[in-house]
Amino acid sequence: MADELYLENIDEFVTDQNRVVTYKWLSYTLGVHVNQAKQMLYDYVERKRKENSGAQLHVTYLVAGNLVQNGHVCHKIAVVREDKLEAMKSKLSTIASVHVYSIQKALLKDSSPLYNTDYDIVKTNLHNCSKFSAIHCDAAVPRMQPDIPRPQTSLQGSSQRENDTDAPSTATVNGHGPLAAKHPPQQHKGIMGMFAAKAASKPQDTNKETKAEAPGVSTASSKPPTKNNIINNFFGKAAMNKLKVNPVPEQPKEEKEVVKPSVAVAEPESSPHPAVEKPGKRTESSRIQQKDRKSKMKHVDRSDNEEERDPENAKKKRKRIKQLESDSSDEEDVPPSPTPEEEKALSPSPVAALKTELEPASMEVSAGGRKRKRKRVLKSKMFIDKEEGYMGKAG
Amino acid sequence: MFSEQACPTAQGLLGPPSTEPPTFPRVPVLGYSDCSGPFQLAERSFARQYAHVYSVRLAGMRPVLEQRARRRWGQDVLVRKLSEMQAGEKCCVVGTLFKAMQLQPSILQEISEEHNLVPQPPLPKYIQPSDELILEDELQRIKLEGAIDVQRLVTGTILAVYGSEQDDGRFVVEDHCLADLPPPLPWNGPSSDRFVLLASGLGLGSGSGEALLSTQLLVDVVTGQLGAEGEQSCAASISRVILAGNLLSQNTQGRDTINKAKYLTKKTQAASVEAVKMLDEILLQLCTSVPVDVMPGEFDPTNYTLPQQPLHRCMLPLASTYATLRLVTNPYQADLDGVRFLGTSGQNVSDIFKYSSMDDYLEILEWTLLAGHISPTAPDTLGCYPFYKSDPFILTECPQVYFCGNAPRFQSKLLQGAEGQRVLLVTVPDFSTTQTACLVNLRDLTCQPITFSSFGAEDED
Repeated sequence: MADELYLENIDEFVTDQNRVVTYKWLSYTLGVHVNQAKQMLYDYVERKRKENSGAQLHVTYLVAGNLVQNGHVCHKIAVVREDKLEAMKSKLSTIASVHVYSIQKALLKDSSPLYNTDYDIVKTNLHNCSKFSAIHCDAAVPRMQPDIPRPQTSLQGSSQRENDTDAPSTATVNGHGPLAAKHPPQQHKGIMGMFAAKAASKPQDTNKETKAEAPGVSTASSKPPTKNNIINNFFGKAAMNKLKVNPVPEQPKEEKEVVKPSVAVAEPESSPHPAVEKPGKRTESSRIQQKDRKSKMKHVDRSDNEEERDPENAKKKRKRIKQLESDSSDEEDVPPSPTPEEEKALSPSPVAALKTELEPASMEVSAGGRKRKRKRVLKSKMFIDKEEGYMGKAG
Repeated sequence: MFSEQACPTAQGLLGPPSTEPPTFPRVPVLGYSDCSGPFQLAERSFARQYAHVYSVRLAGMRPVLEQRARRRWGQDVLVRKLSEMQAGEKCCVVGTLFKAMQLQPSILQEISEEHNLVPQPPLPKYIQPSDELILEDELQRIKLEGAIDVQRLVTGTILAVYGSEQDDGRFVVEDHCLADLPPPLPWNGPSSDRFVLLASGLGLGSGSGEALLSTQLLVDVVTGQLGAEGEQSCAASISRVILAGNLLSQNTQGRDTINKAKYLTKKTQAASVEAVKMLDEILLQLCTSVPVDVMPGEFDPTNYTLPQQPLHRCMLPLASTYATLRLVTNPYQADLDGVRFLGTSGQNVSDIFKYSSMDDYLEILEWTLLAGHISPTAPDTLGCYPFYKSDPFILTECPQVYFCGNAPRFQSKLLQGAEGQRVLLVTVPDFSTTQTACLVNLRDLTCQPITFSSFGAEDED
């Protein structure tokens, strides 16, 4: 009979696995209503004792009722061992409930195993801790997450860029090849499954898109804010920190996994001066993985910025460059740095330059100004290349 | 209140499993409005002096006190300011009380080098027979003597005294009066049984395991997991849970970084981090089933001065996704299901306890209501924000449930006022020591304690 299954299960838990089986633990494990779990435990005890009176079973009960104490009538709820059950029942003037609390093989000295069992099972079921309870609350709904639209904007942004980069797709493939390979494993660790699968399965010419999404989603708290940050508030540190808070409730579970990467990202991101935000981040981050992700973000961001705001912000950037030059460290800006724009704009540009994306990525930040300067210079050269050799410096 | 309803089905779960165990819906919230606006600080500028607090307090309470004085001592009683008083003339004066106490800890004395004093250890009470009362109004001050209980009153109380000034500059008091109960609010309470659970002093992070199971039992009762069907259906009529402060234990406040060497404390985490994580999990379990209002207390990670601002929701990432969690200020005032609640986490009452001869927390709670002010000792001995526009601790309307948290034991009393006020005074006990919480029935303003216990290594009876 199906009904007998629970008896076998309880038998297995108590005798074979030597567990402390509380009603709550049983309810979560078997997926039944708490009241059914309590009744199952009682049933098991009764049958076991009928079969085998020398059964090694210790039971604790929950007793609740009214008790006159210090002049007022107080409602007492107590967990008692079986031998003290009758004594407690007699102390109470009225009994509100009695049921089995737990069954275990060994005699319990104190109640900490009971607490630990319940704590562990609740901890693993935090997202649906009221599922098997006898009270259901309609008002208890999780809040709407305000940052759900963010991945959408990154998709749109990246698709835009993708259109621009159709021509140099081979170059992008080359350049992004090694990095794309590195990304999926990182993604799998830190982000929601669907994005990981998406990134892994997408063809290479959509690498750009996945890269844009992946760092965004993989860091989960830094990318979307970074994107929005760049778009809404150019180098706004305050906006960044605020947005970082929002995604946290969204993924309470991912939080733990993502905490490390996001913390690493958060630390560098929050410390520097807004104008020097990007360079500052790079210098302070020590993990290459973070660097990769950030470099991706920076690529994407800077590409966005420069494409969208080139004419307007040219002057701004130049000013910033001047400031940055004094701040940035020397060692990191020596090699030429291919950037997303470069990659998009150029076709057969030196593959070596593209492949050294990793380092240039890191170097970019610290000497962001110089990078930008160099980028612009290279860009003009690319224009020269594209125009098939005509010497025309475009800026 | 639970037990009578629950008795018939008490033993119902001692039997084989039934097919369809009932699930009870939580009673919907009839009405909720948060009236803690005055306690929320928008801009916090500490550039002002604290004297402004006293002047706005006096200005705010003077009309009420003059009215009470006229009611008590006749319509034609002379109400004078100290500067207009004449010697020998019987009059009434309204002012702020100041109690000069020798044992009151004074930071100036402590750091004064000429005294070479060791800082005074904290005492349970700082009162002494040699304490003196001084009445201050806007411009002057005068020493009070006579029919006035020096030990009982505390600094910061606004009161009206009736007597006359003597030639040597003292004021001999014949009678005095406080502001008395504020005007009543109309009664909008529910007509059926609805409960609000008041608990305080959960004391997480203390390292003691005994209270943890009791906390878990509390959560289980409220969320409807514990108990037989009758009890669960009664628990479904709990419409709200208010946690009145001290969610973290005092043990989490120790700062090893100050006392210990750096190499010992470099990689250690503050004890409150672990405790807040535990709190988050407990609140998550509660929030999935019942609306919860969380007030900060003395040992919680928020500002020290009153009014304490709500805990920040970033500390409770799991629980703050639910709309049922409300992080509120201390003191907290709200209309729950039509009943006006006002309460604090107990700092005001325990501070008055230290500086007055009153020993009973319930008595002190009642006294603050009669004095018309939640916390008269702030800012003198209790930290307070330097208000200058108005004092938000003045009681303008009489609450219907007035509670204070972290009391040593549970006490409750229904106070009836002369103008039809009905106030339920509740001292919510500290859960970590007493394992007791309170259930307030909103229909008839009664209160019942709930105690939890488990078995320990030693045999309890």
